[in-house]
Amino acid sequence: MFKKILIANRGEIAVRIIRACREIGVATVAVYSEADRNSLHVDLADETVCIGPARARDSYLNTKNIISATVLTGAEAIHPGFGFLAENSKFAEMCKACHIAFIGPDPEVIEMMGNKAKARQIMGQAGVPIVPGIEGVLANFKQAEASAERIGYPIMLKASAGGGGKGIRIVWSRDELKKAYDMAKKEAQAAFDDDSMYLEKYLVEPRHIEFQILADHYGNVIHLGERDCSIQRRNQKVIEEAPSTVLSDELRWKMGDTAVRAAQAVGYKSAGTIEFLVDNNGGYYFMEMNTRIQVEHPVTELVTGIDIVKEQLKIASGEQLNIRQDDVHIQGHAIECRINAENPALGFRPSPGKVNILLWPGGNGIRLDSALYSGYDIPPTYDSMIAKLITHGQDRNEAISKMRRALDEFIIEGIDTNIEFLFQILNNPKFRSAEIDTSFIAKEFDYGA
Amino acid sequence: MFKLNRVFKKPRYLTIQQNNSQPAPTEIEGQGEKSVLPAIPNGLWTKCPNCGETVYTKDLSNNNKVCVRCGYHFRMGAWERVDLIMDTGTFKEIYQDMKSVNPLDFEGYAEKIRTGQEKTALSEAVLTGYGKIHGQDAVITVMDSNFMMGSMGSVVGEKVARAFEFAAERKMPIIAFTASGGARMQEGMFSLMQMAKTSAAVGRHSRQGGLYIAVLTDPTTGGVTASFPMLGDIILAEPDALIGFAGKRVIQQTIRQELPEGFQKAEFLLEHGFIDKIVAREDLKLTLSRLIKLHYRR
Repeated sequence: MFKKILIANRGEIAVRIIRACREIGVATVAVYSEADRNSLHVDLADETVCIGPARARDSYLNTKNIISATVLTGAEAIHPGFGFLAENSKFAEMCKACHIAFIGPDPEVIEMMGNKAKARQIMGQAGVPIVPGIEGVLANFKQAEASAERIGYPIMLKASAGGGGKGIRIVWSRDELKKAYDMAKKEAQAAFDDDSMYLEKYLVEPRHIEFQILADHYGNVIHLGERDCSIQRRNQKVIEEAPSTVLSDELRWKMGDTAVRAAQAVGYKSAGTIEFLVDNNGGYYFMEMNTRIQVEHPVTELVTGIDIVKEQLKIASGEQLNIRQDDVHIQGHAIECRINAENPALGFRPSPGKVNILLWPGGNGIRLDSALYSGYDIPPTYDSMIAKLITHGQDRNEAISKMRRALDEFIIEGIDTNIEFLFQILNNPKFRSAEIDTSFIAKEFDYGA
Repeated sequence: MFKLNRVFKKPRYLTIQQNNSQPAPTEIEGQGEKSVLPAIPNGLWTKCPNCGETVYTKDLSNNNKVCVRCGYHFRMGAWERVDLIMDTGTFKEIYQDMKSVNPLDFEGYAEKIRTGQEKTALSEAVLTGYGKIHGQDAVITVMDSNFMMGSMGSVVGEKVARAFEFAAERKMPIIAFTASGGARMQEGMFSLMQMAKTSAAVGRHSRQGGLYIAVLTDPTTGGVTASFPMLGDIILAEPDALIGFAGKRVIQQTIRQELPEGFQKAEFLLEHGFIDKIVAREDLKLTLSRLIKLHYRR
């Protein structure tokens, strides 16, 4: 096991990783930007290094400073968390060149899976069902037109270098195609500096179901069951849960097996997630692979009892996975709500500021992952997620009732949050009867579009 | 108001090791396998002399050795230049077997040649050969400043002269990429004679109607500048390249006057009519190919 690691991230995930390290006796180094001087992750870590000004590009994305901090403090490994440099293959390569263990898969795998179009291709070749679409990227508009005709509308244009919901356009008919194509390309160029696009069939109202993977460096791969992340607003997840209500045991077994095969096909290491889209006929299709730990990992941790971050540390330090697939059991039901500092009534505008009063919910089956504390000044520079509230019950209904009870106890004053919006989702009859798919928020809520 | 500051621990400050040498990789025990303490290997990052930015070396190589921040053109080795300009797989080296001797018995000369060869994977300070540029035949000579500062001795002069003769024989255009500190002092008068020899070879090639393009790169100075590079039918230069004959300080002390801003930079020369065009590295191959196309009809 490592003696010391550096956490190249901030906020609640940095706190999460530091907590896991403290529990197993690994010394921690936190890095922070000038805006995060008073952050919780900075105070919890054993050592801290300021790596730059507020802007992510100059601090949390500053590979040079982060690597220097690692070498200076003598940290042996870097946990990149999610976002920032977590899926940056160049950074993983730098770590390798400097003998720093990157807690994640190999740089080549990150690169492969980061290119969405290529990932589809590789999965297709490995016998994993993929959404009907084109091979590689679109050469020009003509090809887009022809492919769309062949596959059949509705289709989805997606940025190959994309993520976070950007550079995606749904096209329902031929006359919408040109405009959507041009706009998507523009958005992709601005967001990812890469305007290559690919095209797939748009599955109407599918469910987004992802499988958690753990793989060690010796070829052992297991899955930890699925998470249903269909509650999304503009392709960004809001509520996640496990297990999914639409998967029969047989389908779960089949998909889990496919996910493991997918991970093995690319020689995956560490924790990762295979995302599938499931239509209402039980057909499932590979969408993409996320080569990092994910925001919603606590949901899986609660239903399986496995600490994913600790497993990542063990795997990265060269230990063999000592959990076999047969050891993985799903107990009960878990739901996670992402609490964001935003105002739904004002178009979900971010709402940074000082948290004057903070009352955490608690009780049986309540887990809270957050870096908030009373008096904390939320900086405006970063994303708006400030806490994750996860509940675990014997079944879905109990998990929901715990969530409603906990959200009700949750008091945050000084900033706006989406808690009210979360309540509305939880009280929605369709949600309660699990009639949900990725169009849920857009359909049921006025300001969900 | 509660302020979270050092609630959980006392402040500790980082100490930086004083010794600047590259630490030998320290081995530490792991899970039965030895691992190495993290250390940044030399050369992983490069500091740009122009903007001071520390650039990831791989990014620099992928950008034709041009600084990704400020556009500063780093010096290029001869083989790197070949990769940039010639169509892949078309380049054939010629006259690589010419070996330098030590006519004046200059002390330490042989050693310097050996060092240069190791550093550049070249037999001498100039690489000569032919190949295709966007499908068009061309002969090129590429000087490498990593080999004894690109200085011109007998072998360099002979290779350059022969390259011009080769181009004349086969009616091919010739492009000379120059980078040099001047004539090689270890060979004394033999070096100076190369100025005449190469200039004569240029003349013969020109009289046969051949096109000769000179590309002056940083630095192009001394006896080299005063010979074949300045005789190009078309003279191009890389941005910000130092191009001159005598050194700046020598000139200043001789004329006892302050020299103007940007003196001896490519931009200054362009303004004063010494060169025809400054071409950024990313446009160089295309520019050369177009020039060849204009002058050579199939």
